[in-house]
Amino acid sequence: MIRSVSHPQSREWRRAHLERHRRMWIIMAIVIGIAVAFGLSGYFNGVDWATLVDAVVRTTYRIAIAYGIALALGVSIALLVGWSPFADILFPFFDILQNLPSFALFPLFIYFLGFTDQMIILFAVSSIIWPILFAVLTAIKSAHKDLSDAATIFGARGFRRIRYYLAPLSFPSILTGSIVGIAIGWEAVIGAEIIANISGFGAFIKNVDTSGISSAEVAGALGILVIVFVVNRLVWAPLLADSARRYAE
Amino acid sequence: MALVLSRISSRFDDQRTKEVSVLKDITFSVPAGSFVSIIGPSGAGKSTLMRVILGLMPQTSGDIVRNFKRPAMVFQNYALFPWLTALDNVAFGLRMDGMSRQEREHIAREKLREVGLEHLEKHYPAALSGGQRQRVGLARALAISPDLLIMDEPFSNLDTITAEALKTDLLKIWRSYGMTILMVNHLIPDAIELSDQIIVMGAHPGRIEKIIPIDLTRPRDVRGVQFFKEVDRLTEDIRRMLP
Repeated sequence: MIRSVSHPQSREWRRAHLERHRRMWIIMAIVIGIAVAFGLSGYFNGVDWATLVDAVVRTTYRIAIAYGIALALGVSIALLVGWSPFADILFPFFDILQNLPSFALFPLFIYFLGFTDQMIILFAVSSIIWPILFAVLTAIKSAHKDLSDAATIFGARGFRRIRYYLAPLSFPSILTGSIVGIAIGWEAVIGAEIIANISGFGAFIKNVDTSGISSAEVAGALGILVIVFVVNRLVWAPLLADSARRYAE
Repeated sequence: MALVLSRISSRFDDQRTKEVSVLKDITFSVPAGSFVSIIGPSGAGKSTLMRVILGLMPQTSGDIVRNFKRPAMVFQNYALFPWLTALDNVAFGLRMDGMSRQEREHIAREKLREVGLEHLEKHYPAALSGGQRQRVGLARALAISPDLLIMDEPFSNLDTITAEALKTDLLKIWRSYGMTILMVNHLIPDAIELSDQIIVMGAHPGRIEKIIPIDLTRPRDVRGVQFFKEVDRLTEDIRRMLP
């Protein structure tokens, strides 16, 4: 009988993971500390908190919806393309599409959808989708040939191949693609709100002060930092840890 | 015969050298229930030949008669699904067959017990040693009750002790299941110890140099004079055949 052994990298990996975890909390403590210091000094006294919270919530809501649509679309398209025999043909086509600067297409979104919530959300989808789609496609294309052969030999054929082989194979890439996609999404949504002057954090910082950095902008930026941190700690960090544990070589 | 290959050739296009011949005029047959080893140098196209036999890639010319219903494969690099536990890896083929969870887990546990890993069913592949991963790979293959088991250098990534233990288990399993085994190997003593027949391949392009029947009685005494004589004879033969 062969004795069970722990993963050779597990101790080092756990140590590095804890170290990353600790660093993130330190950074967050610094951000909160700065916010508290600003607050105590009276820096935020003139901030219209109701408007600011409303703006941040609207922007966050748009990001969340856009991410959900981009995730569903990006993963579905990538899995279907990766599963089909046309992956090699379609890959360069997607590469050209993703290289188009999103903001160059912004007038088209306004033309077809007007100055609406839907326009901002779909514009953000057009930015968030690419990192997810490419991460999944690359994971499928670069998978070890033996793994793909094993899936075929043991019966993962037809559409079952997507559910039982390609989708779980792509899970770590969906995570990394999502993290990059959401970062791009914040830029896209805030940028679009500034340009189109549609209520949200973008429009808020445009309207509060055009002459320089205001206390409301600083408060809003700190608020968004907190949201990003909380999502990272509560959603991405546990998923990344689980993915690293299960998918380690 | 479980498998008959007749003048199988395989070529693929290479951007630099235009067309590369990987396999040329491969002809051999594998009797049902026998243990056949394929040995040869790197570049002999052994793994390509296995993939052609399994229909994972097409041959350019020649015919294959496949008298088997359910093939399975054990891979050199294990090819376990990292997102599944040992138990779920073993049950994968059964799940694809549409078997209920209860039934497939029962069979998977039985197979893990056969390869001595029932205590590791909840472990992911990343937490297993090379030998344990290879045993899970073997259990996964056995779970679908294959009538042809193809093994692509299953011992090459294992240490000697683990490889010896796995070889012993493999022979037991082969005897009890009565399946046909076609194994790519690169060690002549291993091939002689396990096989009824050894197919020697040459490289560039992959071709058959010789088919050698092994007539030693089973169980084979790997420390006996006869065994060493057979290893010497075959090693000398192969040395003359291959540059």
